[in-house]
Amino acid sequence: MGNEAIARGALEAGICFAAAYPGTPSTEIMEALAAVARDAGIYVEWSTNEKVAFEAAYAAAMSYVKSLTTMKHVGVNVAADILMSSAYAGVNAGFVIVSADDPGQHSSQNEQDNRWYGMHAHIPVVEPASPRDAYRLVKAAYMLSEKYKHPVLFRSTTRISHTRQPVTFEEDIPVEKKCKGRFDRDIERWVLVPAHGRKQKKRMMEVWRRVAEEEGVEPFIKIINPGMKKAIIAGGIAYSHVMEALEVLGKKDEYTVVKVSLPVPLPYKPILEVLKESQEILVVEELDPVLEMQVKKLAYENGVESKIHGKDYVPINGELDLDSVARSILSFEGREPVMPWKPLEPLHLEPPVPARPPVMCAGCPHRNTYYIVKTAANKAGLKDPIFTGDIGCYTLGYEPPFYTQMTSLEMGGSIGVAHGLSKVVDEPVIAVIGDSTFYHAGLPPSVNIIYNKGHAVILVLDNQYTAMTGHQPHPGTGLTAMGEPTVRVPIEKLLETMGYKTYVINPMNVKESINIVAEALKKYKEGEQVAIVSRMKCALQAVRKARKEGIKLPVYHIVEDKCTGCMVCVKLLACPAIVVPKGAKKPKILPELCVGCGLCAQVCPFKAIEVFKEGSPNWLEAWK
Amino acid sequence: MTRYNILVTGVGGQGLLTLGRVVGNAAILAGIDATIAETHGLSQRGGSLIVQIRLGDGESPLIPRGAADLIIGMEVLETARRIVYANKNTRIAMNKFLWPPPLADYPDLDQVISRIKETGVKLYIVDANKLSEEVVGSVISANMVMLGFAYAVDDGLKKLFEKEHFLKAMERVFRGKAAELNKKAFEKGYEEGLKQA
Repeated sequence: MGNEAIARGALEAGICFAAAYPGTPSTEIMEALAAVARDAGIYVEWSTNEKVAFEAAYAAAMSYVKSLTTMKHVGVNVAADILMSSAYAGVNAGFVIVSADDPGQHSSQNEQDNRWYGMHAHIPVVEPASPRDAYRLVKAAYMLSEKYKHPVLFRSTTRISHTRQPVTFEEDIPVEKKCKGRFDRDIERWVLVPAHGRKQKKRMMEVWRRVAEEEGVEPFIKIINPGMKKAIIAGGIAYSHVMEALEVLGKKDEYTVVKVSLPVPLPYKPILEVLKESQEILVVEELDPVLEMQVKKLAYENGVESKIHGKDYVPINGELDLDSVARSILSFEGREPVMPWKPLEPLHLEPPVPARPPVMCAGCPHRNTYYIVKTAANKAGLKDPIFTGDIGCYTLGYEPPFYTQMTSLEMGGSIGVAHGLSKVVDEPVIAVIGDSTFYHAGLPPSVNIIYNKGHAVILVLDNQYTAMTGHQPHPGTGLTAMGEPTVRVPIEKLLETMGYKTYVINPMNVKESINIVAEALKKYKEGEQVAIVSRMKCALQAVRKARKEGIKLPVYHIVEDKCTGCMVCVKLLACPAIVVPKGAKKPKILPELCVGCGLCAQVCPFKAIEVFKEGSPNWLEAWK
Repeated sequence: MTRYNILVTGVGGQGLLTLGRVVGNAAILAGIDATIAETHGLSQRGGSLIVQIRLGDGESPLIPRGAADLIIGMEVLETARRIVYANKNTRIAMNKFLWPPPLADYPDLDQVISRIKETGVKLYIVDANKLSEEVVGSVISANMVMLGFAYAVDDGLKKLFEKEHFLKAMERVFRGKAAELNKKAFEKGYEEGLKQA
């Protein structure tokens, strides 16, 4: 996998320190490093957020220890403050920031192009064309960082990070690594008061100038088939699409191709040569015209009259692929984009194939909590609550039948937005946030509500892991990234200390939880500051533990004679294990999917759902 | 060389990523270059999922619509959804398992099968969930049943791989008893495929 290739490249480059906050599609880089950390003799941590991770890894590089931090593209927004400053102060050892972008938004709220961050912060950006290329280029990125004593941004994308490809290792991981650093008390460098900052800016801009001047060489810029009348300048994965498209279209010999692996700042010398030799140039890059703008500026400043195209032919939205790039090339040539592949028409089905958005898993504790909080709100007479939401599996609560996520903007936003809403609207406001997200960005806005006398309920869904990205441990788990036991930081204590009357529920106990939450919501109505922590382990982890320890989980079924076909279980819970067979009037439970959480049995008004296969006597252990 | 394109389609949790990893390891053993594009994160949570396997020289990881040589469908509705990746020469190996999303209306199995057949593609159907239960006691190895089945019915795969490549690949992906059970599941699917090939 591309992420594993990046991890391996970083190890070969000699890193001894790595810190990150998980986020798709970046997560597996740090997971791969954590898995080998002890054998490789390096330190790896899951930090509480991207800014904290960046600071930790940057401190290592300030102190002569090569380091890595990785994050998803929007994570760079969280770390942007220190990112900017790191470019001013520079580093004393190789320091690479991996930004895993998500063109096409497979699992993100936007598809921002983080090459702009390089431009914005004056940090060079290195960008690979494939997983194999990523493996080599990470090492080149470390060389660049060491050479200029400057941070380097390594931009991956979903299709690099999550594509598997055979990679042949070129060297061993160094046995001798620099893991012990030293801190130079270089006040003028590390204390960015304005007077120092102005001096550091000059250093930074000199690095910027030199990179653009000197790095127009392989592996950063590679020119294939020079001297043709037509040229394509391609960055990142677009290069891989271009090469295959030219092959498929039989046009390989007609084009000069420039592979750009250092898009920011674009090393201009070899590019200018190509601009002078070729008359028609197409810039192919995913998302924004970062290369195109630089190429056009270069042409303008040098009086080059070649025609330069880019986003007039290449899509600006979504990810590119072989098909879209081949079409762009044909359009650029003024031809009809007729493709060699002839797809079948979509099938005419009645009714059509339904959409299948991701759903909460069978046994997911969020389902219980959502059912509980909605029932309790009714019971407490809390009318039309607004549920602000956040980033995690629980975001799926935006869907029917829950409607318990009415915003989901960025990490921690549920609480900050809830505060603002509570100041301007009349409805009650409930901020719903996951455990990992609460540690990440939920603390400052929780304090803000108390300080500024806002009025919103904070509901923390604590499933003990950063679940959506694959169950990484967090400060509530009791484990570090390297698998060592550590303290737990209890969310309820944090909230209590801030001034919230805090209730803790186990949502597997549905009735008891409804009563507790209803009481909490009544207090909220009376004007108290209230928080609720709903704690139950992620179902996937419970199932995993059961399998590992030979624990059998109970399986439920619907007793046909007792079921009236009221569909309450189907309509209120939307559990993937409960289906209505085509044409049937009563639902049934798929035994292979049921994990025995028992929510449906507690919800059924006719007591028609019963245990069908008993679990082991200790089955509840799996959920602990 | 034109790359050989395999689209694996199904629902998150059905073992699509694992199927991709087994094919990837088999490719390494067979000396074939490969890219396998996965989707992660939220898409795992019972959502619609595809894995794109491209075999042969080249690095562009996404299959153009109409360019799949083989589609392995772990679920009926998902196979129908991705039919545009097929052309009329594509082979489709499909698990006879229709898993409707919660709260949705959906076309029935017979309708989907007849519509796919009307397109003229070669459709091979097997109840991989049932065979997996027979062999390993649960549906967990339905993915390997499907891989064995697809290998038996698809000439393109047979040209690229020996059966041994897949069996050895499973030893690299699974450990101990799981490797043995999955190999059995693969063999079961393969036997079933030979009956239809």
